[in-house]
Amino acid sequence: MASPGGQGGGGALSTRGGGGARRMKWSLELSAGNTRSRGDRQGGQGDVVYPIGYSEKPVPDTSIQETDRNLVEKRCWDVALGPLKQIPMNLFIMYMSGNTISIFPIMMVCMMAWRPIQALMSMSATFKLLESSSQQWLQGLVYLIGNLLGAALAIYKCQSMGLLPTHSSDWLAFIEPPQRMEILGGGMVL
Amino acid sequence: MEKLILLLLKLCILVCVVHAVFEDQVGKFDWRQQYVGKVRFSHFDTQIQSSKKVLVATESNVFAALNTRTGELLWRHVDKTGPEGNIDAYLHYAQDTVLVVGNGRMLRSWDVNIGGLNWEILLDSGSFQSACLVGQQGIVKHVAVLKKTVISVHYLSNGHQKWIENLPESETVDYQTVYSDGNGQVFVLGIVPHSHITIVVYSMEDGEIIKQVSVEAPWLSNIPGSCVVVGQGMLMCVDSTTLSLNILDLHQQLQMTQIPLQSLGLEVDPGFHPSLVSHQPNPAQKPLSEFFLQLGPERILLLQLNNGQIVKLNDFKPLKVLLASFATTGEKTVAAVMSPKNATAYSINLFSADTGRRLLDTTLIFPVDPNGGKPERLHVQAFLKKDDSVGYRVMVQTEDHALTFIQQPGRVMWTREEALSDVVTMEMVDLPLTGTQAELEGEFGKKAAIQDGLLSMVLKRLSSQLIMLQAWIAHLWKLFYDARKPRSQVKNEVSIENLSRDEFNLQKMMVMVTSSGKLFGIDSKTGGILWKHYLDNVPSNAAFKLMVQRTTAHFPHPPQCTLLIKDKDTGLATLHVFNPIFGRRSQVTPPALPQPILQSLMLPLIDQDYAKVLLLVDDQYKVSAFPSTKNVLQQLQETASSIFFFIVDSSQGRLSGYRLRTDLSTEQVWEVAIPTEVQKIVFVKGKRPNEHVHSQGRVMGDRSVLYKYLNPNLLAVVTESTDLHQERSFIGILLIDGVTGRIIHKAVQRKARGPVHVVHSENWVVYEYWSTKSRRNEFSVIELYEGMELYNSTVFSSLDRPHAPQVLQQSYIFPSFISTMEATLTEKGITSRHLLIGLPSGGILSLPKMFLDPRRPEIVSEQTREENLIPYAPELIIRTEWFINYNQTVSRVRGIYTAPSGLESTCLVVAYGLDIYQTRVYPSKQFDVLKDDYDYMLISSVLFALFFATMISKRLAEVKLLNRAWR
Repeated sequence: MASPGGQGGGGALSTRGGGGARRMKWSLELSAGNTRSRGDRQGGQGDVVYPIGYSEKPVPDTSIQETDRNLVEKRCWDVALGPLKQIPMNLFIMYMSGNTISIFPIMMVCMMAWRPIQALMSMSATFKLLESSSQQWLQGLVYLIGNLLGAALAIYKCQSMGLLPTHSSDWLAFIEPPQRMEILGGGMVL
Repeated sequence: MEKLILLLLKLCILVCVVHAVFEDQVGKFDWRQQYVGKVRFSHFDTQIQSSKKVLVATESNVFAALNTRTGELLWRHVDKTGPEGNIDAYLHYAQDTVLVVGNGRMLRSWDVNIGGLNWEILLDSGSFQSACLVGQQGIVKHVAVLKKTVISVHYLSNGHQKWIENLPESETVDYQTVYSDGNGQVFVLGIVPHSHITIVVYSMEDGEIIKQVSVEAPWLSNIPGSCVVVGQGMLMCVDSTTLSLNILDLHQQLQMTQIPLQSLGLEVDPGFHPSLVSHQPNPAQKPLSEFFLQLGPERILLLQLNNGQIVKLNDFKPLKVLLASFATTGEKTVAAVMSPKNATAYSINLFSADTGRRLLDTTLIFPVDPNGGKPERLHVQAFLKKDDSVGYRVMVQTEDHALTFIQQPGRVMWTREEALSDVVTMEMVDLPLTGTQAELEGEFGKKAAIQDGLLSMVLKRLSSQLIMLQAWIAHLWKLFYDARKPRSQVKNEVSIENLSRDEFNLQKMMVMVTSSGKLFGIDSKTGGILWKHYLDNVPSNAAFKLMVQRTTAHFPHPPQCTLLIKDKDTGLATLHVFNPIFGRRSQVTPPALPQPILQSLMLPLIDQDYAKVLLLVDDQYKVSAFPSTKNVLQQLQETASSIFFFIVDSSQGRLSGYRLRTDLSTEQVWEVAIPTEVQKIVFVKGKRPNEHVHSQGRVMGDRSVLYKYLNPNLLAVVTESTDLHQERSFIGILLIDGVTGRIIHKAVQRKARGPVHVVHSENWVVYEYWSTKSRRNEFSVIELYEGMELYNSTVFSSLDRPHAPQVLQQSYIFPSFISTMEATLTEKGITSRHLLIGLPSGGILSLPKMFLDPRRPEIVSEQTREENLIPYAPELIIRTEWFINYNQTVSRVRGIYTAPSGLESTCLVVAYGLDIYQTRVYPSKQFDVLKDDYDYMLISSVLFALFFATMISKRLAEVKLLNRAWR
């Protein structure tokens, strides 16, 4: 809109027929407001001929409004149910990757765990998306539950892979050697 | 794809598992020193003029040839230990050496040029008396061996027996010596003590008795001790009661003529038994008529027997003669005489044996080693110079078993410390910090901080930084300087002055105590002897216990070691306190110990000078402390209730535990009696005090924890049955808590016999024995676990242990006998453990403890696989790459010492026996340091190349972008 040299844009390139102290072939009017006001004035005066049926005021479209709302709603539900829909897929991947600790299962588990966490972190953005929906709170809840389920699934996977420090053996390295209460020495008679 | 990656990973892991050294690492971290032991017989090989060999036969049953130029071993033959391999007699003719071995069991002939065995024959075993070479018409072809009842003559060329004869009246007569002087007769001299000498003359040809005579000699009891053969077959004996010389003509055998020493104008030092030394240069010829007569510890004379008359050739006055020896070269025989020159030097002079006159320009003066023993024997190598005069070199053997080879006019060519062939005990001590490091230590010491203000501290810091910078620049300069020189010339001369700890504390001082009473300080990196100290009043059957009282960590206090020397006969002990870095006696005066000492124990208490407290337990079970300052006594009183000790008396089969009272008296807490008629205690092994256990438990397959029973007071007592019958013999293992006397576990191995070798560490005991039933060596391992829960995870008190530990045991077959066994030790105990096993073959095997694990399953399950347990297999296999000493055989390993280094992955190992071998082992590979062959050049050049490539490409990209923008 504001590109220089555009007709009816911010700065207008115009030719002047005559009048004024200096004669120039063309000049660039840098003051956009000035041009616009002039243009408007010109439009008002009917300098520029609009096509037939052109109205400067937008006409409110009432006929499509109902279906649009439905669409938004649907779209919002899509967003809300997205995490839940991924769960069967995740389950399948989990099943396929097995419980051995090697690079691919680890990568998958990381992805599985990271995505819900990321989603939960950007909860507010998602809520903004869902703002237009009437069932905003329900959708938000579903979305939250879906992500939580995803995270739980990832944790379960970690658990089944043995990556969670839930056993006493995981804390073995932190046990300090017990302090000795008695001092003992001696041996065979030399 | 996944499988492929797994495969690759596995390959990587497999490639990493390399225990053995690479060819280029040979000798890089390890060294070996070979010894022969205390010399009993020596012979200079004079077969060829240019020969540079000295042959030695030693009390350690070793026959070896040394290079006289360098003192290195040319070849060495190690026989069995003990009386079975004992070298009884040494005979040398031409290029063959004949040895009588094992109390007359074997006759062996060696070719001395290459050290090869010519022949070996088995004789009737036992009762060896004497042997000699028998010559005829100037050629030696036979060797005669005299035993108690029989004499046999063998060919020198192949060892076959020429004839064997029973000796007449051998029940009554004690035959002791055989003699031959090359006239076809063999003289056998026997004695009936305090009655008469019997002389039997055999014909060389067929062994027939030519003559048999008895001569009265009621004063004589031992022929080899007091008689020699001199000149034309004259038996000369010295009688120490009447102080006279007695001469008997072996060819005439009429009667003894007595010549009192007084008639020769000689006097014997009071209390001294005079002795005689004669010399027979060639066994096919008669001995010299000159001989030495020793009349006192510093008085030796050269005498001559001339037509039945004794002529005094030289009494060497005014020299104090310590040692004298004959040597022959060509036709000339000389007498070398050693005497003290002054307090710091000895001199050796050469005298003509015929005339007793001193030879000109033959004086040799050499310095006395202040840290060595007195000279004991003189081995002289005489040779003819170009101008036909006699030159000589001497090998002096001292009381501390050292051999020093000296050339005229007193240049010490080499010294061999043969005492190191019998190391009794050793310790490794950290080297001190360098001057700069010590400076830093001093700067930030506690005392300094209190005394000085802020400004002076800043100044100090600056100055120490400056010093460090200076040292660093000097180091860099040295590196640069050395880099220009060829590799072979760069030698890192290590001396006591420039000793300092290296970055990873891999270089340490090895303090070695030998049975002769000589102490050595050896640099563990190079094997060089940095100091030696001879304790000259050590009894021959002493027991030693070496303890480190203060390490080098307490600058400026010097490190301190204490050696407890106990005379086993009297039980009296002395303490030798010394600085392990310099070998000097410490300023601290050790306490006098008037009472016999039973044991000593090192307490973790320290006095105000950071020395650990040593408690000495005497035979009244009273305790004395060293050092015993007020501070120490106060500390002892405070902690007395928690100090316990145990004494094991093997002869009475008694194990008893005592506790300390506050007044330093003791009370008996427990006693375990083991009936001595059934079994005897052979070992008691506790845990090493400097051992750290990182992991308190073991992770099971289901990821629960099996906690280890880590009782620091646990003792492993090994007993052997006195009955050695193979059906009834057994060995027993008792695990006893040393504080309470509670028997934690008892295992009996039936139909088994010693020698038992035990390692006790962490929560396991590994022992090895001979199974008489299956006739094989077996290893057995006992592991103790507390169970799935810890009783008390913060403190361990033996007095509060209600639950008995779980005991697991498993046994394995080992395909070889073993000589000794020890476990590796690391700084923090994170690295996995290996067992170092010294084999009689001379190899040192590093066997992962993983193979000796009682949890090894017979049936493999998912859980055991998860735990990385190897399925049980009864046989332990010796893999050749497990030998840490590759081809560097260590003869007769008696002990292996392990010490942690500053690197967790690395453990320093010293194996000692006849040889000494030092190396490093990495039981879990070198996980904390780059390998020594790491290619720094390649990596850094690649890095630099990449860096420059990035720079260049960045610049190029910029140019390209700019060009594009202009287009």
